[in-house]
Amino acid sequence: MNDAARPRFGKGVKLRHDADGTAMLLVPEGALALNAPAAVALELVDGERSVDEIVAAVISRFDVTLERAHADVHELFERLEVRGFLLLRQGSG
Amino acid sequence: MSLLCEITYRCNLQCPYCYNPLSLRDYRDELSTEQWCVVLAQAAELGVVQTHFSGGEPTLRRDLPAMVAFASGAGLYTNLITQGTFLEDALLDELLAAGLDHVQISIQAPEAALADRIAGTTAHARKLEALERALRRDVAVTLNCVLHRLNHDAIGDAIALAERLGVRRLELANVQFYGWAYRNRLALMPTREQVERGEAVVTAARERLRGAMEIAYVPPDYFDDFPKPCMNGWGRQFMTVTPNGMALPCPAAAAIRTLHFENVRDRALRAIWQDSEAFCRYRGTAWMPEPCRSCDRREIDWGGCRCQAFLLTGDAGATDPVCSLSADHRLVVALREGNGQREPVARRA
Ligand SMILES: C[S@@+](CC[C@H](N)C(=O)[O-])C[C@H]1O[C@@H](n2cnc3c(N)ncnc32)[C@H](O)[C@@H]1O
Ligand code: SF4
Ligand code: SF4
Repeated sequence: MNDAARPRFGKGVKLRHDADGTAMLLVPEGALALNAPAAVALELVDGERSVDEIVAAVISRFDVTLERAHADVHELFERLEVRGFLLLRQGSG
Repeated sequence: MSLLCEITYRCNLQCPYCYNPLSLRDYRDELSTEQWCVVLAQAAELGVVQTHFSGGEPTLRRDLPAMVAFASGAGLYTNLITQGTFLEDALLDELLAAGLDHVQISIQAPEAALADRIAGTTAHARKLEALERALRRDVAVTLNCVLHRLNHDAIGDAIALAERLGVRRLELANVQFYGWAYRNRLALMPTREQVERGEAVVTAARERLRGAMEIAYVPPDYFDDFPKPCMNGWGRQFMTVTPNGMALPCPAAAAIRTLHFENVRDRALRAIWQDSEAFCRYRGTAWMPEPCRSCDRREIDWGGCRCQAFLLTGDAGATDPVCSLSADHRLVVALREGNGQREPVARRA
């Protein structure tokens, strides 16, 4: 994954916050539970911010190393990209 | 938690595999727009996250966009399940303006002659046009095809069609034997060879299309040793409301004559969910007979499907006969092996 890529959501993908503080990603025919760092990373997905910027934001909010945050965000984004829930290339979807 | 809103059972097609009830007499008195909005508001308050508009053919109701807008406004994820024959641009405009998140369009087969033969009318070309229109829009699209003996050999063609049209998500669902499908079970039961060949095609296609198309495949439970975790457990995550307002734990449950289902006209959704007799009857594991009661899988498959148990044995509280440990399993074996018997299909009017 290119760290300069600016991810955006695929069609029919929505982030949802509940009153109890939990978050989930609503997708066609499903819902994925998110931990707090994943929710923060996905909140910043807007087609403008780069993967790098999102990793930096996660580090500023949680007590994690750069390596760890970088690996987790990449893992999450790749998992979502394979299913078409996140678009990392220009023009796709 | 999700809610299936079956807003009408009316339909212009006559699929012999349809799980809708055979007699629609009880369902003609449909809930009004306002009544559906009350149901949707109560659902959001109860913790429902996704709502599916289905039927029958939901686009036959002119107030569909109004209901979608209301659901969307209540924070619900909205999904339309349609066969597409009325999905014109003007309707798509209204639905998208209403905030529709996802549309699932079904076809009967990848190729027109067979598809129209299954649907009982000429519709395939129009449905494909609708699919292409939807794919151009800012809405997620799933293409659905129900598999059975008449079209199982066309799985590869269905995948090729989806690929050609740029479908991101394809659902290939083996027919579930309720409603018309149960009535037509001998004609629709695939052969084991068909199922095995089909699964090999799906496995290869998934590998090849990884990252480009997701194929959701629903296996035919009659061919498995253990039943499906029907609805992920009775009254756990899922609720259906029928066109006339009956609240069901599963879309096929109205067939269970031994249960009384309450109506959303009479009682709030939360009360029905939490303490109606029908929702409590088979919730959890305490109701289970042996062999389920002492089985390791009881919280994996929840004893299978109550509707299937009722249809096959007359007892909705029996272990699903699909389970190889069920005392009634021979009923399923007989059905599975009874395929190939030529029987004319029966159709809805
Ligand atoms: C009852 S239909 C109603 C919506 C619309 N009329 C349609 O057919 O697309 C709901 C969905 O269930 C599928 N379906 C119908 N009968 C089925 C069965 N017996 N087993 C599995 N899926 C079925 C349809 O293909 C459709 O995707
Ligand atoms: S499955 Fe076929 S007959 Fe049943 S509601 Fe859908 S289109 Fe109509
Ligand atoms: S005995 Fe009951 S719980 Fe065990 S596998 Fe069979 S249906 Fe499931």
